[in-house]
Amino acid sequence: MVMSLFLAELKRSWIQLVRYSSEVIGGMIGTTIIFYGLFLSARYIAGPAFQLGDRLDSIIVGYVLWTLMLFILGDIAGGLQQEARTGTLEQLFLSPYRAPTVFLMRTIASLLLNLAINLGILLLILLLTGSQLRFPPSLVFPLFTVLLGAYGISFAMGAMALILKQVQQLLGVFQFALLFLFTTPVETWTGTARTIGWLLPMAPGAGLLREVMARGAALNWMAWGLSLINGAVYFCVGIFLFQWATQTVKRQGKLGGY
Amino acid sequence: MQVLQAVHLQKFYRAQRKNVAAVQNVSLQISAGEVLAFLGPNGAGKTTTIKIIAGLIVPDAGQVKISGRDPHRDPKALRSIGAVLEGNRNVYWRLTPEENLEYFGVLRGLSQRVARQRSQILLERFDLQDKRRALTQTLSRGMQQKLAIAVALIHDPQLLLLDEPTLGLDVEATENVKRLVREIAAEGRAILLTTHQLDIAEDLSDRVAIINQGEIVVEEPTTDLIRQFSGTAYRIELEQPLDAERFHKLGSLATVVDQLQIHLPDPETLYSVLDILRPLPIVRIEKEQAKLTEIFLKLVREGSV
Ligand SMILES: Nc1ncnc2c1ncn2[C@@H]1O[C@H](COP(=O)(O)OP(=O)(O)OP(=O)(O)O)[C@@H](O)[C@H]1O
Ligand SMILES: [Mg+2]
Repeated sequence: MVMSLFLAELKRSWIQLVRYSSEVIGGMIGTTIIFYGLFLSARYIAGPAFQLGDRLDSIIVGYVLWTLMLFILGDIAGGLQQEARTGTLEQLFLSPYRAPTVFLMRTIASLLLNLAINLGILLLILLLTGSQLRFPPSLVFPLFTVLLGAYGISFAMGAMALILKQVQQLLGVFQFALLFLFTTPVETWTGTARTIGWLLPMAPGAGLLREVMARGAALNWMAWGLSLINGAVYFCVGIFLFQWATQTVKRQGKLGGY
Repeated sequence: MQVLQAVHLQKFYRAQRKNVAAVQNVSLQISAGEVLAFLGPNGAGKTTTIKIIAGLIVPDAGQVKISGRDPHRDPKALRSIGAVLEGNRNVYWRLTPEENLEYFGVLRGLSQRVARQRSQILLERFDLQDKRRALTQTLSRGMQQKLAIAVALIHDPQLLLLDEPTLGLDVEATENVKRLVREIAAEGRAILLTTHQLDIAEDLSDRVAIINQGEIVVEEPTTDLIRQFSGTAYRIELEQPLDAERFHKLGSLATVVDQLQIHLPDPETLYSVLDILRPLPIVRIEKEQAKLTEIFLKLVREGSV
């Protein structure tokens, strides 16, 4: 049952991706150029002594995770807002599958496509900057915990989109907070800051990814366990908020955007 | 068989610190194969009621049962509901009709295979075969509306909710939608239809419910309602003007002659009048029927004083 829904969502995402591929390619090139611009200006300011070494690799990991996060956020929060505006949202809520199931299937389906696009962005950046990231298979574990957190945050923002309807500006500001979150090396923090680092959404998983991919360290399973708990908690909170928002909006009669 | 049973629905909204009673004590029943026209002026509470029935708005009080299931508690109830909502797109404009039908089929709980079969049947039946591979956004307004109705029927629901399905359609597209509604009801589905075009309601509905300021003012079989409000008077239409002698004779029978039309307020006089008219050609004789529009205006105005 849910499998057919997943396949239908996969097909829908694929069709839209192919049909509107220029939008996707434009987005890919755009995000790469922004990064390259940042990279060049940093080098210009720092002068010829510009040596980032594994710091550069860390920043690339953070940046690419950030773009992945933005895709997921756009899928859920942006998608909800857009469908409320065009009027397909209420049709989705007429499904015997519950709304979180529909949206989860939807974003997991487009995740496959998003991952492929992100890999493209990553390769472009590697080519442009000459960075040497490592891709050990164990990276899927921390990636998974980052994704859990990303979905949780996106569902929470989706809840906000349902209730407020206008989240465009909010999303804009929020994106910069996320960029900060993904590029700050919380894994190197110590003391109380370290504890806060464990509590921030997605930060532990992102830290592990930097260690594995940029510094070539082995995966610390203990730390991974903690990042899994972190991801799971944010995921559950996100789904809970989303459910709560749907009920609230159904009570206010504003699901379709009165 | 009762498909829809909504009892004592109640919904208040808070708007600018005032409680607006959008829906008050509304009860509706529709049986299989029946079309209920749900009429009312702007802001009367039609859309709110429809969305409560579809589980999209939670009522403050009251209960909805669709084939025995409550859409607010049991998601399975949604398998029995198809809806085309007011002023919405209802379908994806970036997909083709065929893709829309298949996607929504699965979303409504069909398997991929059944969804595909049903899409083909509906494309054919709704005369969308030629356009099945065209992007929905390029279709005419009438075709988009037909597609929305087809999508609402993809999972073979017993109850179809149509909120202003002919809004913005031209004459031909409106006739198309009317024909489809008749056919869909004839298949044994229950249909709840709102419209501001009362002639459509008169043509299509088995029963009429009129809502005003959140309350149902009247709910009756359409023909009964029209009979109730129709007088007993007759009207005769002639082919050619009356001669002076007949004109004079008719005057003594308390009739009103207006060029080719003769009004008979007293039905007792019908045959005497006909005797006078013999052998003049007659275009038609009819009992004066009230129009749903007049009845509607009368009831809604009465209700508001
Ligand atoms: N979400 C909401 N919040 C506050 N008030 C609302 C909301 N939805 C509807 N209303 C109010 O409730 C009343 C009923 O609205 P509703 O949309 O059900 O009317 P309607 O009969 O469908 O009207 P129309 O013929 O214009 O479509 C109106 O006074 C409307 O302003
Ligand atoms: Mg309405």
